[in-house]
Amino acid sequence: MRIKAIIFVSLLTISLGRLAVAQSAKSDDGNAARVAPAATAQPADSRLEGEKRFHSNCGRCHMAPPKFPPRMMATIIRHMRVRATITDEEMRLILKYMTQ
Amino acid sequence: MYCSLLLLFSVYLWGQDDAELKPVPILTGSTGYFTRVTAGTVQDAPTVSPLLLVPLGDKWLIEAKGSLTDTFAKNRAGTYNGLVSYGAAYAQVDYIANPYVTVSAGRFITPFGIYGERFGPNWIRALQVTPMTSGLTSGGSLGGMLRGGFPAGTEKVNFDYAVYFSTNNTNHIVATDRSTGGRIGFFLPGPRLEFGASFQQTLQLDRPHAAAVHFVWQPNRVPLSLRSEYVRTSGLKGSGYYIEATYQLSQVPYLRRVEAVGRGQQFLKADNLSAATIRRLGALGRDTKQGDFGLNYYFRPDVRASASYGRQFALGKNANLWTIGMTYRFLMPLASRGSVL
Repeated sequence: MRIKAIIFVSLLTISLGRLAVAQSAKSDDGNAARVAPAATAQPADSRLEGEKRFHSNCGRCHMAPPKFPPRMMATIIRHMRVRATITDEEMRLILKYMTQ
Repeated sequence: MYCSLLLLFSVYLWGQDDAELKPVPILTGSTGYFTRVTAGTVQDAPTVSPLLLVPLGDKWLIEAKGSLTDTFAKNRAGTYNGLVSYGAAYAQVDYIANPYVTVSAGRFITPFGIYGERFGPNWIRALQVTPMTSGLTSGGSLGGMLRGGFPAGTEKVNFDYAVYFSTNNTNHIVATDRSTGGRIGFFLPGPRLEFGASFQQTLQLDRPHAAAVHFVWQPNRVPLSLRSEYVRTSGLKGSGYYIEATYQLSQVPYLRRVEAVGRGQQFLKADNLSAATIRRLGALGRDTKQGDFGLNYYFRPDVRASASYGRQFALGKNANLWTIGMTYRFLMPLASRGSVL
């Protein structure tokens, strides 16, 4: 019984510790956002740029598809990189936009 | 105790970072059912074209696409006869060597012009009737290919290229000619303008060559697409061009899902063809003009109904071309985990 209690307390400590670290990281991100607005502008710009590249590239041949699960989207975008010879940067931006 | 452990595990998972994005093998492709009336002859053609995509690691991709069509046509006795046809559009291995070069090997669609590689699938093409210029060159190749796309010194212009070599293959499913050639293109993302040129040299029989130029423009302010190709060959197959326009009626209430399509094309046969050659070439043995108009209705991005009417003007062979049918593009994962490597 005592061993079980020790295991339970150990697991609880590890889990809460990990959770605290994760929350701290998220909190840090939030603080960084408040301190430096430019830092959040970058992902927003990236999203807008991804949307723009998505419409200008994918719309050249077919209707804009819906967003698929991220791992499927990763396969599709690799296929389209080969078939439609889209650039490396466009592939990354479109994949990011389509998986957000 | 067990509930506590479950709770702890849940908390542990909550603290986990997102898993790395790994591509999964997928099965996609399209099915379609079309009724065609060509100069009074009715044909019904259900078709399925599955496409298997298997990513391997970070740089590899296996692509294999097949097609199966059963064409029913009414014979002179008034009964329907079915003709099953099948083929392999491509079965290739791609290696993304770096941002500038992708190496492909196997059976692939010949990189000539834009129609075969990009507008061939029935769920993509605006009109189900294929342009006559598509029959002027070898559509499939068996061998190796280098291709890629990258910014041409500025973000305002992308350059893309493809060069290939194909061997001769006489298997009826994957028949190819011994040939070489390639395509270059420029894409301006700002004005959404694209243009390029292609070349193909056949290395067998009478060794004809073919050259083509293509053009695509999608103005930013209106939902319009303009596409055009001009193909010229040195052999027996003549030359031709088409101009195609699609307009999405997205600004019209109740018609937002409708796309209107128009295409004009002209084909000029080669000079001095013998009567036997003309018979062998069929449609490519006559000077022809053709106009097509169609409507596509998108129930969803992957389900579409299409109808079109065309009029073909050829010496002694004027004909009406009607097409109506539906396409469905399917997509499903083949594994829950990531790349198999």
